[in-house]
Amino acid sequence: MNKSPLSNSTHTLLVIAGMILSAFTLSACATPPPACGSPTTNNLHDAVAQVKNDLEYNGCAAHFDRFYDDLLRIAEGDPRPENKRLFSEFLVWTADEGLLSQRQAKDYYNRYFNVKFMTLQGDYNNCSHTCPARGKIMRDMERELSDKERGLLKVSLDNDGYYRADELYQEIELVLEATCTACAAGQ
Amino acid sequence: MSLFVESLIARNTEQVSLRQALRHSYTCVLTLTFFITAFLSVKAHANTNSPTIRLFPTTVVEDLRQTSSVAQEMETGLQEVIGRLDQQQQLYNESKCDGAENDPGCQRLAKQIGASYLDMLGIMEERLPDMEHTVNNTRLSLEKRLRSELGNKMTSWTLQETLLGGNPQESASVTSPTMRGRSGMRLSERFQQYYKLVASSSSQSDQSLAVLASDIYLDMEETSELIARTREEIARATLVEQLNQSFGTITPEMMEVVGGVKSILFGDDDSRTQIAGPPPASIEQAYRSPLEQ
Repeated sequence: MNKSPLSNSTHTLLVIAGMILSAFTLSACATPPPACGSPTTNNLHDAVAQVKNDLEYNGCAAHFDRFYDDLLRIAEGDPRPENKRLFSEFLVWTADEGLLSQRQAKDYYNRYFNVKFMTLQGDYNNCSHTCPARGKIMRDMERELSDKERGLLKVSLDNDGYYRADELYQEIELVLEATCTACAAGQ
Repeated sequence: MSLFVESLIARNTEQVSLRQALRHSYTCVLTLTFFITAFLSVKAHANTNSPTIRLFPTTVVEDLRQTSSVAQEMETGLQEVIGRLDQQQQLYNESKCDGAENDPGCQRLAKQIGASYLDMLGIMEERLPDMEHTVNNTRLSLEKRLRSELGNKMTSWTLQETLLGGNPQESASVTSPTMRGRSGMRLSERFQQYYKLVASSSSQSDQSLAVLASDIYLDMEETSELIARTREEIARATLVEQLNQSFGTITPEMMEVVGGVKSILFGDDDSRTQIAGPPPASIEQAYRSPLEQ
């Protein structure tokens, strides 16, 4: 008895369909990707440990900014001078692990916890480089000042540091206004 | 005898040797002291916060002194006539001359006020060119120094470092000058204060010099513009008042101008604002991160 060609091709089609269905079923059972969720504790030490775990083992490096913001928020709930050290050590760890470059780690730290303004980093003289972009620089400095308020005042209770940063902002505004006026007059 | 002479010679020789030794050690001690003192003074000089940016050469200091002196002369000249104007205005108000311009007494008072006002304008017309000249000199000298020292020789980062001085965590230097907004102070006093601050600038740090120079420069710039505008207005106001004299009227504008001149020259107590200081810090910050720049 001969098998008809149609039943052979139907059989083949059925086998292929079965394989595809199995593949879908198997993939549905695979482990879901990590959620990279925010820390689930209000204790800063535990939160830092959770974040480190997510960054190191769960492939959550792309969520670093959000994690950092979460840690600051948790630290604001328990402000103390020691928090500065904790953030510093966390950032040193991220640089050592290669999650951030040294420069990025310094930027994250100094932006929030140093009196100096990272916005003012630059290699060219003020007349040619700073003055043409003075408006933007002052706006960026203002944003950075509010980050410093968060880091210095609200997270680490460094009142003196924050008020010095605020004073420095005003001094820079005055000195840049005078310097840039003088630069423009000389052109 | 020869023994005695020999012993005498020997003793003399010893004494000479001793004297020489003493002289030698004395010279050594002196030389050593000199070098130690020189070394210590050089070290001390290197350690002091002596300014390294040249924002106030002697020309600028002298210009400031001149400006203060000219402002004082102008104030002295105007003080009497403004006092007279105040008295006349008070009398005018007490005599209820507002609305009674036809009254001969009130007309006479109005003419007197107008004449005093013309005197005031005349004195300003006479003194303002000198003021303008000295203010401009100061402004131009400072402009050159600011452009050179802060504009061309510094980046934004080094400017920040200069303003922070040695330790960014320390509070601002005690000698840092008050920021803008010097209302409530006589003009000559303001320039006098600038002069005193600048004349003692050799003992100040770069951070306070930069802020001081910027403050003075912007103040001079505004003053210069104000003087130029005022000079333009004086000619017009003089003409208007001369016309008014024939009619014996006092315009509200006239009193506004007098009020403005008083506030510029003698200050305005009401405009002094109180700014609250920050609350005292409660905790010392000793930790310095290795990431700190």
